[in-house]
Amino acid sequence: MLRATGLGRRFGDLWAIRHVDLEVHRGEVLGLLGPNGAGKTTTVRLLAALIEPTEGSASVDGLDVVRQPDEVRARVGILTETPGLYEKLSAAANLDFFGRLYGLDATTRAERIERYLRLFSLWERRDDPAGGFSKGMKQKLAIARALLHEPSVVFLDEPTAALDPEAAWIVREAIEAIRRSGRTIVLATHNLYEADRLCDRVAFVRGGLLRVDSPADLRESLGERGVEVEFGEVPGPAVVAAVHRVDGISAAELVDHRLVVKAPDPRAVTPALVRALVAAGSDIVEVRERATSLEQIYFEVMGVRPDADEAA
Amino acid sequence: MRAAIVWTILRREWSETVRNRLLMSTILVPPMILTIAPIALSGFVGNRSLPPQFAEQILGQRPDWAVFSRTELAGAFTVQQFLAFFLLMPAYIPLSIATFSIIGEKQARSLEPVLAAPIRTAELLAGKAVAALVPGIAAGWATYLAFVSLATLVYGPHLLQVVTDPSWLAGVLVLGPAVGLSSVVAAVIVSSRVNDPRVAQQIGGVIIVPIIGVTLLQATGTLLVGASGYLLLATIVLVVSLVGLRIGVALFDREAILTRWR
Repeated sequence: MLRATGLGRRFGDLWAIRHVDLEVHRGEVLGLLGPNGAGKTTTVRLLAALIEPTEGSASVDGLDVVRQPDEVRARVGILTETPGLYEKLSAAANLDFFGRLYGLDATTRAERIERYLRLFSLWERRDDPAGGFSKGMKQKLAIARALLHEPSVVFLDEPTAALDPEAAWIVREAIEAIRRSGRTIVLATHNLYEADRLCDRVAFVRGGLLRVDSPADLRESLGERGVEVEFGEVPGPAVVAAVHRVDGISAAELVDHRLVVKAPDPRAVTPALVRALVAAGSDIVEVRERATSLEQIYFEVMGVRPDADEAA
Repeated sequence: MRAAIVWTILRREWSETVRNRLLMSTILVPPMILTIAPIALSGFVGNRSLPPQFAEQILGQRPDWAVFSRTELAGAFTVQQFLAFFLLMPAYIPLSIATFSIIGEKQARSLEPVLAAPIRTAELLAGKAVAALVPGIAAGWATYLAFVSLATLVYGPHLLQVVTDPSWLAGVLVLGPAVGLSSVVAAVIVSSRVNDPRVAQQIGGVIIVPIIGVTLLQATGTLLVGASGYLLLATIVLVVSLVGLRIGVALFDREAILTRWR
């Protein structure tokens, strides 16, 4: 288990992160979300005993990151922002080196190197220099390196950054595999889709932890719930009037061929809504529940709203 | 400090070094040249013999060489000038290896995963330092052995006395490794501040210039103090290196590497 209390780190006069109170349970996947410079990497480094906190404390499996840094490092695995492989060495030699650093004996090293290289489909390339690998393969090898000593907590810092969609998919599958093995994962990422798909809880970081919750609970508390109906033809005013007469609907707005309905309990209102629309003579093509994206929640929590004109 | 971890670092350093063709050429080619060049040059000079006035001047400085023939004297004088180069070898080889090693890791960002392992900074630095130092010393000693063997073959036992006298032995066996250590220290200090191995080597080279300068004065006879002089010089270089090592270790601080090395 991972625990932080009042954790903070200052570089010169600048606090990178402060007042971090956090508990991550065994087998849980926690996402750290935030803009560049928000303090995600600093948080990971503090929790992995790579740097010392300026204030507060943190522990991994009850071991203090300041007083027992070597013991903490032996229990955590880390995928850094860049794979940081020894490019002239083979995939197997890279893993063997780290196996030795973590004090694994020769038999264990050989067994785990084979297991993790097979898991990430790199076994056939085990004798090839890592420098000749694609970005995705390098990232997979770096993840294998982070898992080699079978840590109880795995930190993944931007695991899919700068990867093409195929490589990113491969890495996400690898993360799913780690998750299934029951390890605690801390995933620092910009990729909100990835966080939504993989994380049990997400922590919004910007100089501190703004909010920590599960994506479902965040949607429950911050998202707008409702139903979206798509029509074959643009419906007339009678259809919109019929919608307003359905119980449980707080608002409805027609946008071209789509009707956007706000309702606290979408599943409860959908049957009555569909009956009312059909009775009003509308031509329904599709009905779906509206789900607030994690991106919308991110902007809500961060208190920012990108300017559409600026984006254009 | 755990020897197994230092050995692991050292093995990995050497594995990468032997795969780096550029680095290997800078390690292997100069010792080969240094083995052959003094013998060839002294052979060339020796065959022509020395002017009588110059020969007398040399004998004035080295009366123990009076037993040599004119040809042997020319050979002895020529090979004596090469002692400095045997001291340069343990200086520049570790400098090349250490700068490539540290800056290479900076560029590849490969130190962070290493520092995330349960390894102490001193163990990492010791592994890197020994991995850089040993090839330099080994190359210096191997080249010296080859040089002594060739010199004996070409000129006979008289010249063997010249290249195995106490000043040569003290220079090659004691001062050489001390200069090598100073070179590693220079590489560690400079490499923590620059991001290009060539720049680091140039700056590192400047740092070891005073040491080389004193060594050259010794070798050329400007500052002839014999074996004891070499031993004293080695002690001074060692003390300076150890002070530098403390600075190097401080610069090699784990947090500095993670947060400031870019």
